[in-house]
Amino acid sequence: MAQASATGALEARLTRATEALQRLRGAVGQVVVGQGPVVDQTLWALLAGGHVLLEGAPGLGKTLLVRTLAQCLALRFSRIQFTPDLMPSDVLGTNVLINNDQGGRTFQLHRGPIFSQIVLADEINRATPKTQSALLEAMQEHAVTIAGQRHILEEPFFVLATENPIEHEGTYPLPEAQLDRFLLKVLVPSPTEDEMVEVLNRTTGRAGGSPEAVLSQGEILDLMALCREVAVAEPVLRYAARLVRASDPTTTGVGLVKRALRYGAGVRGAQSLTLAAKALALLEGRLNVSFGDVQRVAAPVLRHRLLRSFEGEADGITTDQVVSALIAEVPTRPEQVEQAVRRG
Amino acid sequence: METPPLAPPAEHFDRSFCRLATRVRRRALASSTVTGVALGLIVGAAAAGVLWKTGRGSLRPWAAAAGLLGGVAGAAFGHRRRWTDEQVALYLDGRFQSREVVTTALELRGETSAAGSLLLTQAAAALDSGDPRAVRPPVWKFHHGTGPLAAGAIAYLSVIPLPPAAMVAPPPGSEQVQKAEIKGLEKVEALARLKAPDPEQRRRLDKIARDAAALREKLKQGAERREALAEIARLQDAVQDERLNLGNGERKQGLEAALERLAREAMLKDAARALGDRDLVRFDEEMQKLANTREKEDRERAKKALEEAIEAARKQKAEDVARALERQKELLERRGQKADELKALGDALKDALPEGDRQQLEQQGLGGKDGRKAAKAMEDALKKLTPEQRKRLAENLKKRLQQGDLAPQAQEQLRDLARDLETPEGQKKLEDELRRLAEEEADEGAELQEGLDGAQQGLGQAQGELGAVPVPGQGQGQGDGKGQGDGKGQGQGEGQGQGQGQGDGKPGAGQDAGGNQAGAGGPGRGGGASRDHKGQSKDVEAPELRARARARLDGKAPSAGMSLGRTAGREGDTANRQGTGALGKVGPSEVSGVDSNEVPEEYREQIGRYFQP
Repeated sequence: MAQASATGALEARLTRATEALQRLRGAVGQVVVGQGPVVDQTLWALLAGGHVLLEGAPGLGKTLLVRTLAQCLALRFSRIQFTPDLMPSDVLGTNVLINNDQGGRTFQLHRGPIFSQIVLADEINRATPKTQSALLEAMQEHAVTIAGQRHILEEPFFVLATENPIEHEGTYPLPEAQLDRFLLKVLVPSPTEDEMVEVLNRTTGRAGGSPEAVLSQGEILDLMALCREVAVAEPVLRYAARLVRASDPTTTGVGLVKRALRYGAGVRGAQSLTLAAKALALLEGRLNVSFGDVQRVAAPVLRHRLLRSFEGEADGITTDQVVSALIAEVPTRPEQVEQAVRRG
Repeated sequence: METPPLAPPAEHFDRSFCRLATRVRRRALASSTVTGVALGLIVGAAAAGVLWKTGRGSLRPWAAAAGLLGGVAGAAFGHRRRWTDEQVALYLDGRFQSREVVTTALELRGETSAAGSLLLTQAAAALDSGDPRAVRPPVWKFHHGTGPLAAGAIAYLSVIPLPPAAMVAPPPGSEQVQKAEIKGLEKVEALARLKAPDPEQRRRLDKIARDAAALREKLKQGAERREALAEIARLQDAVQDERLNLGNGERKQGLEAALERLAREAMLKDAARALGDRDLVRFDEEMQKLANTREKEDRERAKKALEEAIEAARKQKAEDVARALERQKELLERRGQKADELKALGDALKDALPEGDRQQLEQQGLGGKDGRKAAKAMEDALKKLTPEQRKRLAENLKKRLQQGDLAPQAQEQLRDLARDLETPEGQKKLEDELRRLAEEEADEGAELQEGLDGAQQGLGQAQGELGAVPVPGQGQGQGDGKGQGDGKGQGQGEGQGQGQGQGDGKPGAGQDAGGNQAGAGGPGRGGGASRDHKGQSKDVEAPELRARARARLDGKAPSAGMSLGRTAGREGDTANRQGTGALGKVGPSEVSGVDSNEVPEEYREQIGRYFQP
């Protein structure tokens, strides 16, 4: 009986989560026109507790998306505009000397914008690597160390960084170590004609109202916990592992990987693949991960973790093409089972 | 330890899963079995083909059993490689498109968590709601189509008639021959009746004769041709060994010494050559001629030379050579005595006849070297004698006896003849005496050799009777022939000439004197052919015109590269004749090269073998 009630509770919880996510999608959609896949992928990262690197041309609504998401989620939001003269202390904060009530002077922590729950690191590639690296600890450990004192950041902590792929002058490409910290790299496409018309309608008329918060902090944390409960069968885990291992050009049997890559994804890539697949499954109201989930999240999870070789760059092979090749060539099921499934 | 009872969702899932898994596995097993049957039938068809080809027709239908065996093997293989639960779950997820919920639930079967229960419920629902017809792994695969084809092939190969057995040609000579009578072998068997100079040779001759008799018996029963021919070849070798036995091996030095002594006398050179060739028949003939010579001094010189040769042979321990020479010496004495008698009778007879008859008598051979001819002529003449002439003959004989140059025994006999000649009985007695004198006393060794030659000839004849080409033997032919020449000439240049010549020769008739083949006389010398080169050619502006074609045809020798028979070798001997065989031409200086060089005795045999033609 207890078992049945627990199952019922979980089922209800799953239903609520699905409904909440639908609401969230709807709320974001009221402000952001189109960009459905981008919104979904951002939600995968949110549920999985990861961070997102948004890449797209200026004016595609990246900042708007992040700001809207923060408003919908009722989380503290801060925005850091990365510039070449931005210092780490500008991100993390610093101790300032103040006069206390007793007439003495003490240091008081002046918290930087990182002490928020949704941080928009705008044009992250414009800051120096030193400032970029100030984000490393925060992103990986959800904590920062200022003047030797460690400060835990409030959960959920979610970094959304943007970068502009077309202006490379005066930019500092993100180091691989930092790129690896992002769960997903989401490409923001240009809107379609209909979407653009809708954008024009919304933005050139009377100013619209701000979206309402649809998910509380507690609900978000519950969703994140539920995401961790999503089960992954061993064959699916093995498939994720095979995909990641196949991206290593020294051991792979995939021809395009050998030709176009210098380095493949690592263990963190496999972890991210699994977590993102779990988030996707949850977003679709399932408590188990399928091969299809892994395949669908593979591109945003792996595209920034694959380092192209000179030949790959010279031939203009994108990492997305490599991921497609991996999905096409790495088998999901044992061969005899696959043949039987196909033949019916 | 008992398995804890499953929770209801797990139980439900288990039931649904097992039901479908059984179906999936059963079909997979069936597919594997059919694959085995198809493979077995293919192997069976191949086996049936081999059986058909090899003519084992009765076994062909059994090739179908390979299909049965293949099926069993396929079933065993399928059972061993049956799908695991995880593979079945993956298959079901794939077919139901249930997004791996069944696979995930399978792993969570034993868990009691809420998530596990929920997934099991979802999985069970997916299994229950799925179309069972979708869960049918294909039993029939494309390659299974080869099975019926192979079965058809087996059936076809089982009913079609077997191919005709390949004609395997028997090995050459392996066919059976059966001959009731081989006449050639009788001559070999006759060796047993010949006189042999020593017991050892007697034993060998007997053995040859016995072997020939055994071969004859064997051929009566039937034997392989090659086996019989091999036996004949072996007998030929044995007979040839016997023919060349005189002065062989260690006794060769004695033979050479004796020959050297004989050759000192010019009149004995031919005899010495014949002896050197181990041709005792010719040697005997030469000695017979010598014995018939009219000059007593010649005989004495020959006798002396023979004695020296005997002594030289004895010194070199060539006892067989010495014995042969001794026999010839004794024969020479007896033949000389007869020759003297004939001579005396002939002289007396000639004087008793008128001139015309005398000339006729001389033409018939009186006074020649052939005693038989002379005796025959005298016998014929004697029959025609008138009483008057017979009386004169008796007187002449008496006068002749008074000369006292005849041997005492001959004198005695002639005296008796002269006394009785006046009576008809006396004439009869004289005729008998002439017949006695005409009888030629042959040498024992020559007789043996003649027998051996006959045996060799018989063996050649036996070869012919068995269908083989007889190997030419060692016959020496003598002939005095004249041939017809037919020459053709060809000039170089733009014109061609052709001519025909006619000689004054006639075909040579040979007389076999020891070979097992009828000796053929050498081709006669072509007469000077008068050639008429008819033809036209342009004028050639050259100081001389030479023909390039040089047809060096030697009528006495076979063409280069042609091999005729074989020359029997003797132990320790080198080439003893100028050969033209596979070893090429042997120069005159190379004949008996080892003998004429100072080769140490211990190497003589080895080197001799090397140079043997």
